[in-house]
Amino acid sequence: MGAIGQRLGRSTIASAALLAVVWALTTAYTQTGGSSRVLLISEMLSNFILVLGMQVFIGNTGVLSFGHMAFAQIGAYATAIVAIPVAAKAKSLPDIPFGLADTHMGPVAATIFAVAVTMVIGAIFGIAVCRAGGLAPTMITLAALFVVDQVVKNWGELTRGAGGLTGIPIIRGNGWLWVGALVALVVAHQFQETRIGRFSIATREDELAAPALGIRLFSSRYAAWVVSMGLMALGGSLRAQSLGNVNPKQFTLDAGILILVMMVVGGMRTVSGAVLGTVIITAGNELFRQLGDPQRWDIERFPDLFLGATMLAVMILRPGGLLGDRDLAGWLRRTMYRRRMHEPVEPNPGSDTLHAKSIIVHFGGFTALDGASLSVRPGEVVGLIGPNGAGKTTLFNVITGLVDETDGTVMLGATDLTTAPPVLVARAGLARTFQNLRLFKNLSVRDNVALTSAVAARHRSHRLRPDVDDLLESAGLLEFADRAAGTLDYGNQRRLELARAVALAPEFLLLDEPTSGMSDTESLAMVESVRAMAAKVGAGVLVIDHDLGFITRISDHIVVLAEGQVLAEGTPDEVRANPAVAAAYLGSQA
Amino acid sequence: MLEVDQLTTRYGAITALHGVTINVNAGEVVALVGPNGAGKTTLLNTVAGLLRPADGTVRFNGADITGAEPADLVRAGLALVPEHRRIFKDLTVEENLRLGGSTLRLHQRVSRVHEMADLFPVLRAKWSTSAGFLSGGEAQQLAVARALMCDPKLLLLDEPTLGLAPTLVDVVFDLLDRLRKEGRTLLVVEQNATRALQLADRGYILRTGHLVAEGSGADLAADQGLFESFIGGADGA
Amino acid sequence: MTKLIQTIVDGLGVGSTYALLALGISLIFGVMHLVNFAHGELITVGAYTSYFFFLHGGSWWWMPVAILASAALASVLTELVAFRWVRNASPFTLLLTSFALERLSHALWQIFISSKQRTFRKPKWVFNQFELLGIKFEVMDLVTIGVTAATMVVTAIVFKRTLFGVAVRGAAEDFDAARLMGVRANRVISGAFAFAGLLAGVAACLILMRTPSAEPTLGSDWLLKAVIAAVIGGLGSFTGAVMGGLVLGLLETLTRAYLPDVATGWDKFAPAAVYILIAAFFVIRPDGIFKVSHAERV
Repeated sequence: MGAIGQRLGRSTIASAALLAVVWALTTAYTQTGGSSRVLLISEMLSNFILVLGMQVFIGNTGVLSFGHMAFAQIGAYATAIVAIPVAAKAKSLPDIPFGLADTHMGPVAATIFAVAVTMVIGAIFGIAVCRAGGLAPTMITLAALFVVDQVVKNWGELTRGAGGLTGIPIIRGNGWLWVGALVALVVAHQFQETRIGRFSIATREDELAAPALGIRLFSSRYAAWVVSMGLMALGGSLRAQSLGNVNPKQFTLDAGILILVMMVVGGMRTVSGAVLGTVIITAGNELFRQLGDPQRWDIERFPDLFLGATMLAVMILRPGGLLGDRDLAGWLRRTMYRRRMHEPVEPNPGSDTLHAKSIIVHFGGFTALDGASLSVRPGEVVGLIGPNGAGKTTLFNVITGLVDETDGTVMLGATDLTTAPPVLVARAGLARTFQNLRLFKNLSVRDNVALTSAVAARHRSHRLRPDVDDLLESAGLLEFADRAAGTLDYGNQRRLELARAVALAPEFLLLDEPTSGMSDTESLAMVESVRAMAAKVGAGVLVIDHDLGFITRISDHIVVLAEGQVLAEGTPDEVRANPAVAAAYLGSQA
Repeated sequence: MLEVDQLTTRYGAITALHGVTINVNAGEVVALVGPNGAGKTTLLNTVAGLLRPADGTVRFNGADITGAEPADLVRAGLALVPEHRRIFKDLTVEENLRLGGSTLRLHQRVSRVHEMADLFPVLRAKWSTSAGFLSGGEAQQLAVARALMCDPKLLLLDEPTLGLAPTLVDVVFDLLDRLRKEGRTLLVVEQNATRALQLADRGYILRTGHLVAEGSGADLAADQGLFESFIGGADGA
Repeated sequence: MTKLIQTIVDGLGVGSTYALLALGISLIFGVMHLVNFAHGELITVGAYTSYFFFLHGGSWWWMPVAILASAALASVLTELVAFRWVRNASPFTLLLTSFALERLSHALWQIFISSKQRTFRKPKWVFNQFELLGIKFEVMDLVTIGVTAATMVVTAIVFKRTLFGVAVRGAAEDFDAARLMGVRANRVISGAFAFAGLLAGVAACLILMRTPSAEPTLGSDWLLKAVIAAVIGGLGSFTGAVMGGLVLGLLETLTRAYLPDVATGWDKFAPAAVYILIAAFFVIRPDGIFKVSHAERV
């Protein structure tokens, strides 16, 4: 509970601080001008909530959605339908279905109702959005926008069609909007602190590495989606109640793009960025509106120019947004971070053996693996070598579920992993690294490791879980813990990927060329690193490498693969002495 | 003909080549061998203009071509048959060849396409087939034929026998031998080190981005320590 | 039966316009992985070009040439001022860049012309009707289908027979390999943009002959449909783009015409039904009808 309280406290502090700055700015602004300025602030505040709603999904998952505005619209209409007094409703919506004619709710109840309804409807769309990969989710959200738009425009009994609804009781003053903004900020901050929120960030950073470390794409994205639906509904509902009316024109694709621009300009990956973007775009829009005023320069739709130009400039010059990954909440997390010391515990070694039996893989007409088998016993280090194109990485991909084998079986003890997808393979206890490094580049070094540690806490609780900072220390990375992983030098990135895999508390580590790109001395140091790290969690190791010096030193047993088959295996000395191995590497004589 | 001087190439944080110096004289066949990750492909790709070096120079026929566009290098007479062949699978065999001759004038291109058909009868049989349906050996011949379209003075070949059955390896080596007899200059990266060195006039051995040995092809091939220097010795080097 | 045939002809008419636009989007996606949301603006460019020329004594005899030229020029220009600078960025950044351009285009027309609709003449024969096998057709239906078919044939010839077309297809499959053949990256990308511009120009002609008017947001609605069509077909696939366009056009007109018969009282939801079908399609086939694979090495 302590940790949760601490997280919530941190989110609240960060939210309050950000909001205080915005409040100071806006108060200074409204004090010096007329009531139109107050209106501008209410618009900004409801936009603020919508921006945060988008940030929770788009910013954290990296999946672009055009359809978010549709759900703000559902929220706004749901509010209107229950908040408009019964007498007024009898006039404007005489044929209203579902017995809503007699329903009337106060502002708080109406808002909660709207959020609930939207989250339920959104949750249904979300299943479709979060299942697909590539561009399909974006297209589904676009379709959702049109569906909602058409339903609203055509379901006259419920919505009064294109004309919209009026007569929603107006909440005076901006107080509720400030409360709403605070709620949205806390939710958005807090989401990034929760396990599922951090998982969704991991899927944004690398769609392939995340499942390979036991993070499920769908569930983490879906959580982000449902939470963001709630915020969109909140924004839509409060907007409806501050304007007193709703109509479809308020929720068009264009209106959504404005919100999107706010999020992207400030930096969509962080809450602070979303806040900054909202303020900048609102202020810039207003400035250009005034400059374009008929009494000034008389330029019609001048703000549109500002929007387009700002977005283009940001995309070309700073595609991550003005703030990039700088974030008040992140800064707080780092400065408030205290390392907790743990008593060193003896690891409990695994007891299962990893077997890959008679694996056959065809790619089109090409046979990548032709009946290769290997096993790794608990705690053993097995080296997998072979010339280029022998099928080593393919075998790794088969074992970890990335490639489907044409024939053969993969077993971990009594567990059949033959058809298991990467995420289940990882949870079963096989953690891998990638030949061309797949770190979560924009996340801190500590977060990279903490993420898998969180997976381990959930899915591998039966194993002794190593402490994150302890792992970083052993990997020699503790001094870089707060740096973005992508800024490390190459050797350290390799070590970080190793530490990240170890944090899963796996039965076996599968390392694909851990020394590639390293000098001979660095490779030599890697022998100790790998052995020490594996020992920390009592894991066995299956390692591919092309550096025979490294492989000989690290391995208890070596398997030589050539043309998709096991050519030889044995102790390092036996393999070295085998003439067939040299021939496989150097090629036959003419 | 080709002088590579102190070439260093990086991929982000990785330095794949550390100041490598090699040269290829006109009419020579030079083999470049070494284990995975040695930087052989990086070297060829840098020479051919696909990668920009961080440091060092490349000269071709006396002209400095460091960091030049591949399109200009092809026009100057330097062609690369890339690793994994990278033929255009969605294009037909004929279209692949036409694209190979993209720098030629139309009539030259047409006649050169026909010359290639004569040189590689296997391809003629599959003329209008999508290249994706070719077998490994056919695809490799297409990759070479495609590079020969522009009649290069220097041909770089990256792992021409990769993934080929042993009988097809022979076909490819015969092809290399034929090119050599035609008097073309070749720089070949090859996993079949022994055979490549036997074929070559000279050879270089690359490991972890450094040059570890050079000499005549025959000497290197006969060297008992070849395997050790190739793969990193038991004593770690 | 008559109704069915007429509905199909209508559907093919709208669908072929989608197809022309989708083809351009797919082409650009193929060479640089950009989903170009600024593509629809080329229609707007064509519209204002016609408006301008009609103010100064234009004629439909040569107007298509002006529309095609302006659209192609504008397309190349977008690449030069914007897309060139983000060429290797993530698809997300590329897409948002095109969005920014779309916004800018709207703003510029509004500022320099007006946000109000500007109309001009249409060709006299457009809505003339004639009868074939007892069914009434408009001349424009025939022109639309004929012109689209001809454009498709020309496109097929360009991409099959000319070196430019082969280079674009090669570059779409493997850009670096195409560079190794001596293809210049800038030239092939500019060329692709020019060609996509021409296709959008043809679409613009067909749209403007029916509804001869220019307004800043003219291209946006067409664009969204075209993007959906291109993704339905499978981005990067030319056949897919054409199929996607026609399928979308037919789907729209068929649901509008027949949904009332199937479900009385639900006809007002016909447009919504189309999008629900589209969403369902993407759930079942996220990569479109023709999946274009770009292998990624792990």
